[in-house]
Amino acid sequence: MKAAHGFSPGSGQRGVSNPYSGVDAADLLLDSADTELTSATGRGVLLLADGSRHEGILFGAPIIGEGELVFTTGMSGFQESLTDPSFAGQVLTFTWPLLGNYGVAPGISESSAVWPRGVVCREWIDHPDHRNCIGSVHDFLLAHNVPGITAVDTRAVTRRVREHGVILCMFGPLEQEEEMRNRLEGMTSPDLEDLVDDVSRDDAVLLNEGAKGNGGIPMPRIAALDCGIKHNILRELCKRFEVLWTPPDLAFDTLLDEYQIDALFCSNGPGDPAHAGKAFASRETLAAGLETKIPVMGICLGHQLLGLATGLETYKLRYGHRGANQPVVDLVTGKVSITSQNHGFAVNPRDTEPLAPHPIWQSQGAPEALSDAPTEVRFVNANDRTVEGLDVIGRPAFSVQYHPEAAPGPHDAAPLFDRFSEIVAKEMQDELPLSKRGVA
Amino acid sequence: MPRREDIQRIMILGSGPIKIGQAAEFDFSGSQACRALRADGFEVILVNSNPATIQNDPEMADRIYIEPLLPDVVRRILEIEKPDALLAGMGGQTALNLASALAHDGSLARLGVELIGSNLATIDEAEDRDLFKQVCEEVDLPVADAHACSSIEEVLLAAERIGQFPLLIRPAFTLGGLGGGMAWNRGELVEIASQGILHSQIGQVLIEESILGWQEHEYEVMRDAADNCIIVCTMENIDPMGIHTGESVVVAPQQTLSDRDHQMLRDASLRLIRRLDIKGGCNVQFAFNQQTGEFVVIEVNPRVSRSSALASKATGYPIARMAALIAVGYTLDELPNPITGEGTTAAFEPTLDYCVVKIPRWPFDKFRTADRTLGTSMKSTGEVMAIGRCFEEAFLKAWASLEYGKPHPRPLTLADTSEGEGMGERAETPLPDETLEHWLRVATDRRMGALYEAFRRGWSIERVREITSITRWFLHKFQRMAATDNEVRSAGWASQDGEGGIEPSEISAAQMRRWKSAGMSDAHICDALADYPVHGLNLLPEGRGEDAVMRCRHSHSIHPVYRMVDSCAAEFAAITPYYYSTYEPHGLPGVDSVPQKRRIAADGDPARRLVVLGSGPIRIGQGIEFDYGCVHAVQAIREVGHEAIIINNNPETVSTDFDTSDRLYFDPLTLESVAEVLLREDADGILLQFGGQTAINLALPLDARMAHLNTLGLEMSLEGTSPDAVDEASDRERFEAFSKRVGLRMPNGLTGSTPEEVRAAAHEIGFPVLIRPSYVLGGRGMEILTNDDQLDAYMREAYIAPDKPLLCDEYLGHAIELDVDAVSDGEQVLIGAIMEHLEEAGIHSGDSTCFIPPQNVSEEVLAQVEEWTTKIGIGLKIIGCFNIQFAICDEKLYVLEVNPRGSRTFPFVAKSTGIPLARIAARVAIGSRLSDLEIPERTTGLVCVKAPVFPFIKLRGLDPAPGPEMKSTGEVMGSDPDPARAYLKARLATELPVPTTGGVYITVKDEDKEAIADVAGRLIELGFNLHATPGTAYALRAHGLTVEIAYRIAERQHPDALDLMRQGKINLVLNTPSKSGGAVLDGNMMRRLAVELNIPFVTTMSGAKMEVEAIAAAIDGIPEPHLLQVKYLD
Repeated sequence: MKAAHGFSPGSGQRGVSNPYSGVDAADLLLDSADTELTSATGRGVLLLADGSRHEGILFGAPIIGEGELVFTTGMSGFQESLTDPSFAGQVLTFTWPLLGNYGVAPGISESSAVWPRGVVCREWIDHPDHRNCIGSVHDFLLAHNVPGITAVDTRAVTRRVREHGVILCMFGPLEQEEEMRNRLEGMTSPDLEDLVDDVSRDDAVLLNEGAKGNGGIPMPRIAALDCGIKHNILRELCKRFEVLWTPPDLAFDTLLDEYQIDALFCSNGPGDPAHAGKAFASRETLAAGLETKIPVMGICLGHQLLGLATGLETYKLRYGHRGANQPVVDLVTGKVSITSQNHGFAVNPRDTEPLAPHPIWQSQGAPEALSDAPTEVRFVNANDRTVEGLDVIGRPAFSVQYHPEAAPGPHDAAPLFDRFSEIVAKEMQDELPLSKRGVA
Repeated sequence: MPRREDIQRIMILGSGPIKIGQAAEFDFSGSQACRALRADGFEVILVNSNPATIQNDPEMADRIYIEPLLPDVVRRILEIEKPDALLAGMGGQTALNLASALAHDGSLARLGVELIGSNLATIDEAEDRDLFKQVCEEVDLPVADAHACSSIEEVLLAAERIGQFPLLIRPAFTLGGLGGGMAWNRGELVEIASQGILHSQIGQVLIEESILGWQEHEYEVMRDAADNCIIVCTMENIDPMGIHTGESVVVAPQQTLSDRDHQMLRDASLRLIRRLDIKGGCNVQFAFNQQTGEFVVIEVNPRVSRSSALASKATGYPIARMAALIAVGYTLDELPNPITGEGTTAAFEPTLDYCVVKIPRWPFDKFRTADRTLGTSMKSTGEVMAIGRCFEEAFLKAWASLEYGKPHPRPLTLADTSEGEGMGERAETPLPDETLEHWLRVATDRRMGALYEAFRRGWSIERVREITSITRWFLHKFQRMAATDNEVRSAGWASQDGEGGIEPSEISAAQMRRWKSAGMSDAHICDALADYPVHGLNLLPEGRGEDAVMRCRHSHSIHPVYRMVDSCAAEFAAITPYYYSTYEPHGLPGVDSVPQKRRIAADGDPARRLVVLGSGPIRIGQGIEFDYGCVHAVQAIREVGHEAIIINNNPETVSTDFDTSDRLYFDPLTLESVAEVLLREDADGILLQFGGQTAINLALPLDARMAHLNTLGLEMSLEGTSPDAVDEASDRERFEAFSKRVGLRMPNGLTGSTPEEVRAAAHEIGFPVLIRPSYVLGGRGMEILTNDDQLDAYMREAYIAPDKPLLCDEYLGHAIELDVDAVSDGEQVLIGAIMEHLEEAGIHSGDSTCFIPPQNVSEEVLAQVEEWTTKIGIGLKIIGCFNIQFAICDEKLYVLEVNPRGSRTFPFVAKSTGIPLARIAARVAIGSRLSDLEIPERTTGLVCVKAPVFPFIKLRGLDPAPGPEMKSTGEVMGSDPDPARAYLKARLATELPVPTTGGVYITVKDEDKEAIADVAGRLIELGFNLHATPGTAYALRAHGLTVEIAYRIAERQHPDALDLMRQGKINLVLNTPSKSGGAVLDGNMMRRLAVELNIPFVTTMSGAKMEVEAIAAAIDGIPEPHLLQVKYLD
């Protein structure tokens, strides 16, 4: 069990003598075994901003849950979802009714914390059964001080969200219903918060230092802008790169000059991509990367930021795409991938009316293009035809709205990391080094 | 990739008769394929020998052949029809094997027919055990250590190489694991493997290391020609490895794999089907070691299967329809998702927000002597599925759907060790712990009940885990169910002697919600409150029964909510009217009513909402025929613009295809769930006569509950024959009185409610007597008794009570039996057909071979049959369909019984005569007069024969001879202008060979020894050698016939019949069973061996005569196939 403790991407990689050792959210269950925490119990109620109420039973931490109510339709991977920083600011409803069948396992979290501000479910399983299980979903929420409400008619809740769009909510003890209702009326959208700032790193760290690939060739170095990066992205990147795991707002010049990166990556993350805080800073770094024609890849929020950087608008989807079964069509090959997704915003393709225009653009006009690189929609959602991926024309850069790193979800899109890796290799061959080449 | 324009005509192969391992699922898949392809403009030619399917109804395909599914026959049809393509993946293993044979012998290439869907290489690689192993290794997937063997020598060598028992034997190219099994030693290995080699189409078995105790998981995969792949559904077996997945209790989606585990298996599935180049649907099975995370691939079915039918119904995703469209070139992303409609495509993976449980339906309630042990070959005849928001709810709903007589798990007692029909004092004694442990250890149909019982008794999870190897997660769920059960029980009045305990009317709203959302039915709650009285819940006093729980529940305004099976967990607004009921712990009070407005019917009034009850799981006595009836009833209702609503719980059927009806409710067929659906629908009427005995049995209880439902605003009628008329037809005494009144003759019959009364009755009537319990389907417990000893033996086993008397009838020896299917509107009667049974009365009508038109009945008697049928229909005030069994003894007509419902011969009649009786009956039941309906012209000029198909090969311990108790699982049909050729076709379609040369073994009882001489003489003329027991041989020699004598088996000298059969010298056995003496056992052993060696045998004289006719016809060659000529109402 010790081996799986913590988060250590790139350990065992050739050439890495001092692998990074970080924290996995499940560590808390291993470490805090003897701490007695008080759990929430008793009847509770989930209040929605549309006035509806849904009764249930409280569990997890004994605090009020509040945030933007969203739902995810994945049937497995609850631990990965709970630790996905993209859920920051939200109250997460699981449509799959049996939450936590196989419990929480060490070493598979997507970050060091649980991010949703509350969990809504139909039934949480108090007798999880799996060889790696170290605790139940309840233990996990409690350890991370996140409240939950169970025995809720989650399908009714999901239908509300589907019909109304994502909606603010609050849940807690039945006795506090009136108080909560009053608070809910004054609640503001978490989109207005600088969520990226909440979930991202403050300092840069180099992972996989000295890693060698095939033939003992040193791996290229990539900067991974952490807007709330999932651990599995870092694991995937570490298979192919030396990874500079950086705060989202580190200036591009610093990356290039000080850290001598060969490629740039921008991660997933929570909230509104058009937010003026750290997300905007990231967008600027990305734009600078595009301008220098360094290979760039973006995932999820990173994709939206790349869109914004090239002058495309973003808008908020009614209730987002969250689950493990979203079909994405590659417009070049015609092939469909089943993908893992978790996003509430989307990029609007040029010349198309957005499905729901973003309030920011109404007041401020279209975003200023930070890069004049033209883009082309490469991937679309087979269901609603929303943009799922962009290729930047004439640049070694692309982005996808969905999660090739999966975790949770299917691996159909995993080859995108190889695609990027090949792009980087090709760029390094063709245009010779921005930094420490010459070894090849 | 777009639709292929180079194909216009497509032949689809069905799967033939319903048998163990191959039930209605292929009617469902074939029907979907027909609908999809025809809707897209293709011309469809369908071949299936089973008359009871919807797929070979005139409106389903352009050209239909009801012909034997044999390579010679199908080749001939290909020559006649010259289709462009053959789609074999819809007809199960039968169709796949046929296609494989026709491809390998070059017929398809010669005739220019392309095999679409999965191609030949795919089929070979998936089915041939050795090739499959290579394929897996090629794509780096682990398989169990296994060796393909074609002889016993190779088998023994393989066993040595693997090095340890137990070993699994898996035959190649068989269905339902026939001939497979698990061997714990060399002896068993040889025995099972020789069977396996015999039954495998290519004479090959795989000897495989056993991975006992691992979990079993299934992945249902779709792939198109552009290489888009999706997983439609995952399934997890509760039973660990070692039990055929068709015999396992299955949960969907899988519950106990983490996302990483699941993605590993998902990746493996995709890698495998890409390598196999499967285009369409397929099923991949894995064994998974929960302790280590290792897995091995078990097998791939390169076609739609029973699992895919389950997956379709579990998710709403129409696998067969999509597979058919993929076969003609479409890609998944081009096809709209039919569940959610516009805006979504078929290229997505369904996600569920509920739990599905499937439980197989086994025939051991009828076949008490059969070996109940479950293993790698199938024994179940059908299955039920249930949907709930939690596992407990889904499991208990599935249990309630099984219809074994216990609607929920009751405490196990000694009575359960035999048949569990009460059994008086035995029911007072709890099942001993040792027996319980045995039931947990050795998987049988009883295991799930035993799990529940173990936790009821407080056994620990670890103890049960140790015994069963079942995944702990499931054990916890059983423990939870037992805990809730115990909670109700200890709250009840019975367990507290009335002191402080509650009665049904005192259940609080909170208790009610908790218990209901834990999956307990009203019946379960009242039974538990009463502490499970020995005599069952139906005898509970008023105010303490099921009705009282319902009233209390309704007083709290607690009703189920109905959830749509939408494949997307409510992410998108779905358009599929497919629902299940559930109780949410904090749901909204009140009836969850259907929101839509009623449409306008053909007559301009708002449409009526009419509910049709399905027939539940396929079992002996209640097969696919009743599903056919339900589908026709729905079609009839929709034809006139009313809304047709189906309730059913069988995932294999066409009736539970979501586009068959206006709304489908996948729920148990219990009074409770039917009543709630009626309330939700605000239904106007309900039709009970099509769903077999399951549905008709609800007539009286539903009638009794109607007054209460009226108080909730439901204004509704039972459509068709009134419950009172149903009772008059079904109740022996009332029907006798009726017969007397209108002047019908019945065999003498008396009833007895005590052993003394029964004995007296038998003596008054005189032996032989036909004895049976009242109110049964499929002739359960019916026997012909010839003396007091047999009577005593019968009564020791039987359950007799004042409310369940035994019926004792005069036995009409050598009588001709007739079946009549008809429809009455109360004033006029339409006779569909009169069918003559080949076998004399005494063989259950469901097991008989029958002819349309009758072959040996005088015009005079036929006229009388018509007259009596009319008298019965009008006299009993039957509105809708009914079936009568008559016997003709000494030229005198007797009425044997009347069934006030659709019968299992309805589809056979419809396909033989062109008169769609079920549809006409439905129209009449909902208010039309026969005179208002356009009845199609009767097809004439053909003799049509229906022949039964038996499950003997699958069920050891069952005497393979037809008798008064029904044993067949399905039927086939043959038709030709010539009766012998029609019979030959039916015989060939039963999939037993019809010999044209070789040896015949004859042994008949004394009274038949004279009559057999003609048959024997004819066989010699046809070139057969005869072998016989001494008695029979002397009788034949007296007629100058050449016969070799074999020893009787009991003499223990050689050669006896068994030796000859094993040596391959016998190609047919004629054996009329004796009722007593040593010959009983001889006959049984001989028939058993014949079954195992696939040698046809005949047990009646009339059958023997017909068999010889068929042989003569077969020598002339296989008769020309006939296009089905019938057309229903346009």
